[in-house]
Amino acid sequence: MIKLIQNEWMKIFKRTGTYVMIGLLLFVLIVMGGFIKYQDSKGSVPDNSEWKKGLQVQNESYQKELTEMGDAIPQEVKISYEREIAINKYRIENDLSPNEEYTVWGFLTDTSQMIEFAGLFTIIIAAGIVASEFNWGTIKLLLIRPIKRGKILAAKYLTVLLFGLFMLFILFAFSSILGMVLFGFPNDPVPYLNYYNGTVTEQSMLLHLINYFGLKSINMIMLATMAFMISAAFRNSSLAIGLSLFLMFMGGQLTRLIAIKYEWAKYILFANTDLLQYFEGAPMVKGMTLGFSVTMIIVYFLLFQAIAFYVFKKRDVAA
Amino acid sequence: MDTLVEIQNVTKTIKGRTIIDSLSFNVNKGEVFGFLGPNGAGKTTTIRMIVGLIGMTSGDIKILGHSIKTEFEQAIKHVGGIVENPEMYKFMSGYQNLVHYARMSQGITKEKIAETVEFVGLTDRIHDKVKTYSLGMRQRLGLAQCLLHDPKILILDEPTNGLDPAGIREIRDHVRKLAREKDMAVIVSSHLLSEMEMMCDRIGIIQQGKLIDVQLMTDFVQGNEKIYEIEVEGKEAASRIVKDMYPDSRVQLTENGIALPLKKEKVPEVIKRLVNQDIQIYGVKEVAKTLEDRFLEVTSQKGGLIHD
Repeated sequence: MIKLIQNEWMKIFKRTGTYVMIGLLLFVLIVMGGFIKYQDSKGSVPDNSEWKKGLQVQNESYQKELTEMGDAIPQEVKISYEREIAINKYRIENDLSPNEEYTVWGFLTDTSQMIEFAGLFTIIIAAGIVASEFNWGTIKLLLIRPIKRGKILAAKYLTVLLFGLFMLFILFAFSSILGMVLFGFPNDPVPYLNYYNGTVTEQSMLLHLINYFGLKSINMIMLATMAFMISAAFRNSSLAIGLSLFLMFMGGQLTRLIAIKYEWAKYILFANTDLLQYFEGAPMVKGMTLGFSVTMIIVYFLLFQAIAFYVFKKRDVAA
Repeated sequence: MDTLVEIQNVTKTIKGRTIIDSLSFNVNKGEVFGFLGPNGAGKTTTIRMIVGLIGMTSGDIKILGHSIKTEFEQAIKHVGGIVENPEMYKFMSGYQNLVHYARMSQGITKEKIAETVEFVGLTDRIHDKVKTYSLGMRQRLGLAQCLLHDPKILILDEPTNGLDPAGIREIRDHVRKLAREKDMAVIVSSHLLSEMEMMCDRIGIIQQGKLIDVQLMTDFVQGNEKIYEIEVEGKEAASRIVKDMYPDSRVQLTENGIALPLKKEKVPEVIKRLVNQDIQIYGVKEVAKTLEDRFLEVTSQKGGLIHD
């Protein structure tokens, strides 16, 4: 199995396209770093000594809006306001200024948006890893080895996951280094304030970021799995890339739209992939729980894998 | 003789159409088996079924006694093959391609790779990218790829497609050498008759998914009777005499004499008669029928249309 993965890895990294992707990722991070560094007007509350007052005012306006709107306010907005208020209160009580200096942590939080970018590249690899073998005609030589088809496909899937992990690692590592060089490391460790179930807790920033990266990658893994499934079942990388990217950008929006009207939206994959909604926001459809989403993700995952393996194992290689 | 490959009553149906119809034959150790047929007859499909790329609707294929259906790994590890063109990863070097395939079989050492590269004569260019290779070199790399794991059976689907005469000859020499020296069973498919004639020991003719004949190459080309050309003075007289002897036989006039199909034991009889009738004989020689003649004969005899 390790040898098979080694093979797949070699085939990915002997192609120029892969380096272009990595180069693009690094380039975007550098541009982002440069932009933030030289724009340099961060900080929401201008006067340092007055921050408590500022937060107070902010809270009051949130509170006012909440009471005025009453039930008309969307669930999501309500929860986000409540969260803001709770965190602001916690800051005032515990004397934690929001005007932290912009450091490596801030940069990492900003660059974590780039996970989608890493995800995009992983999708491209996933979409090509089976379909390309068919395009190149090499599948004929690949499948006449003393290795079962299922094992070859499994090796390919594991390689996709490894590649995704590798992209995340590059993103995380490079942002950390770049952030430290450009913005420096904070003197006192700044805690991350986590709001969950109505209470605010302090969390180490590193732990929070790892958490955040992990939860965000679920979406990426599911999309890559879907692209992989299309690639293996339909042998068509363009279809796999096209559909996956479309759903990556539009899936969430579409689900949100459907969710306004229909409750069954909660069974759609994209209503469930963002597990962050349970920790930092409101679920997309009322009544969804973390357990439900995890179950749905597992169900979809198994479904994708079942289709991919079933079709790939049965298929006649005639092309 | 040891039978290495057994094709047992194999049928393949795709969407109600029978592509391969109860095909059965065996391939033995040390022989080159040619698989001959017009385009679309089912050669490639059969070959793909032997290597497990395509499933079969019924029947079974056994390689050294292991079924390709139920014991795929056990069966396929004795097989090396090129199916149609040897498609390689063009963005990698020839050597990396070989390493890639070597990792997929057990116990292939670096020395073995080097030895195989040497055997197919690619040592100079093996570290260049495959996209810089000529078709002939790719074919050689394809051969190296299927010899890496010392297979007992070699399967080549249209191995000479698109090669120049030198390339064809090279492949032919390799194939014969492997069958003789390493005692491999080689299955070669082709629609090029002349090529099969020089390469194969036995051929099976397939037409419209049916195996219509399996014969030793020598028997196949010759049939029972051979054609003899007799060089004589006065061919008209000679042909009249022979026609008297065998009213049914087709006697033809050639440039220097007459030609007719004869059984070997009848040859002295004919010569004796001609000599007694004062016909001057300068020579008697056997004329081999070409494979093409025979192929057309067999395929039209069996009542099928040849569509190309």
